[in-house]
Amino acid sequence: MSVPNDDNTSRHSQLSSHCFGDLLDSIIADIASECHRIARLGLDRNLEDEEEELRLSTQARVRVADPSNSGETNSKYVVDIFGQTHPAVANEIFDCMNCKRSIMAGRFAPHLEKCMGKGRKARLKSTRSGTAAQNRQARGSPVSAYASYSNSTTNVNRVANGTPGPAADEYGEGGFDEP
Amino acid sequence: MTSKHPQHPNHNHHRKQIPLPCPHLSAFRSNHGGANPFRALQSCLRIRPLGRAAIRRDPAEVPRCATCGSSAASRLYACLSCAAVSCFPHSAAHADSGHVIAVDVDRAELFCCACKDQVFDRDFDAAVVLAAASAASSSSLGLRQPENLRKRRRVDYRPWAPDSRERVLVSRGSVPLPGNPPDPADPASCFPRGLRGLNNLGNTCFMNSVLQALLHTPPLRNFFLSDRHNRFLCQQKNGRKSGSGGGDGKNSMLRRICLACDLDAIFSAVFSGDRTPYSPAKFLYSWWQHAANLASYEQQDAHEFFISMLDGIHEKVEQDQRKPRSQGNGECCIAHRVFSGILRSDVTCTVCGFTSTTYDPCVDISLDLEPGQGTARHSTTKSHACNGEIDSVLSSQGCGISTLIGCLDRFTRPEKLGSDQKFFCQHCKVRQESLKQMSIRKLPLVSCFHIKRFEHSPIRKMSRKVDRYLQFPFSLDMAPYLSSSILRSRFGNRIFNFDGDDSETSAESSEFELFAVVTHTGRLDAGHYVTYLRLNNHWYKCDDAWITQVSENIVRAAQGYMMFYVQKILYYKASENLVSS
Repeated sequence: MSVPNDDNTSRHSQLSSHCFGDLLDSIIADIASECHRIARLGLDRNLEDEEEELRLSTQARVRVADPSNSGETNSKYVVDIFGQTHPAVANEIFDCMNCKRSIMAGRFAPHLEKCMGKGRKARLKSTRSGTAAQNRQARGSPVSAYASYSNSTTNVNRVANGTPGPAADEYGEGGFDEP
Repeated sequence: MTSKHPQHPNHNHHRKQIPLPCPHLSAFRSNHGGANPFRALQSCLRIRPLGRAAIRRDPAEVPRCATCGSSAASRLYACLSCAAVSCFPHSAAHADSGHVIAVDVDRAELFCCACKDQVFDRDFDAAVVLAAASAASSSSLGLRQPENLRKRRRVDYRPWAPDSRERVLVSRGSVPLPGNPPDPADPASCFPRGLRGLNNLGNTCFMNSVLQALLHTPPLRNFFLSDRHNRFLCQQKNGRKSGSGGGDGKNSMLRRICLACDLDAIFSAVFSGDRTPYSPAKFLYSWWQHAANLASYEQQDAHEFFISMLDGIHEKVEQDQRKPRSQGNGECCIAHRVFSGILRSDVTCTVCGFTSTTYDPCVDISLDLEPGQGTARHSTTKSHACNGEIDSVLSSQGCGISTLIGCLDRFTRPEKLGSDQKFFCQHCKVRQESLKQMSIRKLPLVSCFHIKRFEHSPIRKMSRKVDRYLQFPFSLDMAPYLSSSILRSRFGNRIFNFDGDDSETSAESSEFELFAVVTHTGRLDAGHYVTYLRLNNHWYKCDDAWITQVSENIVRAAQGYMMFYVQKILYYKASENLVSS
């Protein structure tokens, strides 16, 4: 309803709101038409399944975060499903395929690095250059609750007197740099 | 606690279907005979580049309702019989004269005035699509097939049982594995075969985690357990080829490294029934020789190892003339047969609509997490959920949780290339601003999704890890990300056979099931990889030498780094026999 006075302004605002209304109706019809097509042609996504997965995931995170639940996540392992226990550093012994020496499994990779001449420090040592400038990025250290001594113990075992034994090999310099 | 599988009563209700025409549309079609009853409309189709199709008798026409003169009505319909234009309220009156089928002039949608509903017709849609394609003068409809794309042959399932002669052969040439049949007194025999811990050889959990996933990748496992790469025969062949007698140690070291042979050895060991943790030392040795030329191998993470390992298996493939070297069609080696898919990349000129299309093979899909999504919002949501209002947290947008589906949506959405990345348009002959859109032309048998959690900034010489949680589903439908779906939506979801749209890409082959999750916990420089495996619908945690059983909640809540999905048709659902998987 137009007010008698302010005739021009009210007509302008009427026109512009009509215009806006038409545009809005047109946009709504665009979306309705597209959704109608998608629904009728069976192209719509299965939102029920997606929402169910999301709900399960949220529920799971709540349950896992609840401290009263049995600590499945980061508790210390006692036995695995086969009833076995394993030391923090794997103690299976086998022969290095490069140098034929007996190596303990948990120390095989650092040994192999030096053995194959690939370790950064091994290379530097051989070229008599200075100490390594960078820390080597660890490729994934077994840092979890049950391995409480990963880095420190290996350093302790660094007995660099050159006699390779089954357990103590001079992998020391090629070891894990503390971050 | 395991959730019941989401029920699928109307499992196929959302599958693509073409609705039957209403009787009025059928009558119209038969009355206006011939192959194309909409021929008259084709000359009236006006397409704007990247825009919607419209119907105009001449380009400058402003359609008006014949009854009320309105040109601004939200819907204007042109009668297909007499070309009279009516707005929606007045269209019913026109229908009384017997002209029932009309077309929405601004949306190029057929309308039945008697049913008062939009109707759909294949021939009409085809006309719209072809008009749009020729207006953009592009070959983006994919009539040109990508190279190396061969239709995957389908073989009908036929049951087979050995005859008496074969049974004798089998019993002579094999020995039953321990734990057969499962003995309740022996705990090891009651768990699925192939579950065996892997010793950490010194910071090698990145390798162990990927190996565990691959050991249980169904097509890969089947390949090696079927003796399709026999390491003894392969090494014999290599020994002969290297020419030397192979007597002294040096020559035996020169014998060709074959990662497939080493993998074969691991499969044999892990599926042997022995449950003591296995040390993949030989594999590490071989892989380091293969990966020796990788620039900064110290920075290997599990995903880099995965790529490197697949490459290693591919490289040592026999140079057989029958087998192509390119990995595009996955016929080169088992690694690509299992993991290789084809990605399609479309770059569209925003000015003329011309689209340039390229196809590239890929063995996995690397996804970005959303940039800086609200952690504050996230923690608020979490406290709500703890108070029991789980049901209020439904849509992922609402609660700000990142999802794998959200990442895939972002991966396949049209992306405006920056003004500094103008693409040379072959139609306009100048550099124009463009849109880029990715889609999947061919799905692999096994999809590996890699979440980019490690950000390396070479400028700032530092890297950081993104710890944000990502929700991932146990069942995943990849249909919306196929090239045919993406193309279809680009052309207004018309009924048309778009690139890659054939009966082969049926509902079954786009549905995937999760079977392995590699997670990373901890910092970038001091972290740990663990793999969760899904066998017979039970979840097992593989933490180097430790194999434990976990509830699916642990897996859902874990920080996924690499997720492995296999096509549902290759996935063996839970059976009563816990041991067979």
